[in-house]
Amino acid sequence: MSYTISQLEKHYGSAPVLAGIDLAIPEGAITVVLGPSGCGKTTLLNILAGLDHDYAGNIDGFADSRASYVFQEDRLLPWMSARDNIAFVLRPSIEASRAQSLSWQALSAVGLEDQADSMPPAMSGGQRRRVALARAFAYPSDFLLLDEPFSSLDLKTRIAVMDLFVEIRAKDGRSAVVVTHDVREAIYLADRIAVLSERPARVLDVVDLGLDRSQRSYTSSAAVALETRLYGSILS
Amino acid sequence: MRPGTPASSAKARRAQPLGDGTASRVDGLLALAVIVALWKLASIGIGADIVLPAPERVLQTLARVATTARFASAFAATAGRGLAAFGISMALGLALGLAGGASRRVEALMAPGLTIVRATPVLAVILLALIWFPAGIVPVFSAVVMAFPVVAADVAAGIRAADPGLIAMANSFGVSRRKALFQIRVPSAMPHVISAARNAVGLSWKVVVAGEVLSMPDHALGTGMQNARMALETAEVFAWAAAGVILCAISDAIFDRLARRIACHTR
Repeated sequence: MSYTISQLEKHYGSAPVLAGIDLAIPEGAITVVLGPSGCGKTTLLNILAGLDHDYAGNIDGFADSRASYVFQEDRLLPWMSARDNIAFVLRPSIEASRAQSLSWQALSAVGLEDQADSMPPAMSGGQRRRVALARAFAYPSDFLLLDEPFSSLDLKTRIAVMDLFVEIRAKDGRSAVVVTHDVREAIYLADRIAVLSERPARVLDVVDLGLDRSQRSYTSSAAVALETRLYGSILS
Repeated sequence: MRPGTPASSAKARRAQPLGDGTASRVDGLLALAVIVALWKLASIGIGADIVLPAPERVLQTLARVATTARFASAFAATAGRGLAAFGISMALGLALGLAGGASRRVEALMAPGLTIVRATPVLAVILLALIWFPAGIVPVFSAVVMAFPVVAADVAAGIRAADPGLIAMANSFGVSRRKALFQIRVPSAMPHVISAARNAVGLSWKVVVAGEVLSMPDHALGTGMQNARMALETAEVFAWAAAGVILCAISDAIFDRLARRIACHTR
């Protein structure tokens, strides 16, 4: 399935938020939408997720597909165990025992099989984030949407959870759109980066990354060079 | 003396502040002692048992009345009426609150009725109930009419107060409105439900006894109060009222324990 955003516009009242976004989302790849805080990145994701229908323009492919959304916050139900939180979004379209077994598999994939019965308030921030990722991967969607999913984590946990995400996503193969304001995070994750302007947002630059994983570390010279280019686009 | 020996442990225990539960119990007893002391002073000042009997006189009367069969049947009947009123109020309030919380339209349709019921004085409800129902039903009906709107309003507010982030999450994953209502909105509303139930239980006792005072069913604390008043036995009026207070305190204690247990499961 190919996904294309064309001439996407959105207003809050008379204030324009998105001013004609054009972007192709490569199939089976991670597209990072990079932009300053408050530029309209979350609004863009909400439109792609089908949570906001009040827009002009086209989002070809998205409307006919199901999305798995990872929000800025974990958004786990505090009165349900980690496993039940995942099963909650799977049922009733998936039968109960199968939903439970898929939930356990998803937790196992993020290394939390021993926390299946833990309640979210008793888990660390990194563990809750991993449960939110497991929920997104377990849900039978066509694409993944992630809204600054790692920003609340400390650097060490962030890198560990990002590595986990990249690894599982590569095996899973679903297209993903990640929004972030963090240039290094974008370089670390993306196959394609779209740089957005300040509000009203438009696409300033699109960069396809040919870097392998070893060149994406926070200290690699290739990543630093790319970072310079992206900062140039943002500040232009 | 080395640390860890019995004497040093005892000292350490003494040095620790009292736990919250113990401290609040001590504070409660202290407040009760102050009330009784003020009551005693007022009764000495007034100097007429028919107006304000002394606390020890009321206690003696309560001890005497409490051993009679009449008291036991009155206590049981009032307890039954209070619990029935509480149960019906909760069932009705939960159903209406759930419907009102789930739908703005239902809430708008219910709003005028609930406002009228909430604004009606309790005595007006009891007087009308006296015309419509037999004596035993009047207290229960009056308490239900007074308590269920409180429950409905609290539950509807709780249903509406669910975290919009969790609702958006459910929407994004295609979770049905019905499932989101019962698995997100209802658990989110539990603190409101507990608070509503606490208000309803207190209100039920008060209105049930008030209804009994006016309707005078065969077995009731309110009837005992009214009979004592007519005989100008003020100490006995106090004794019957104290029995109502004891009933309320017992239900409060049981309810608090239950509420804590529910809160642990929904946190």
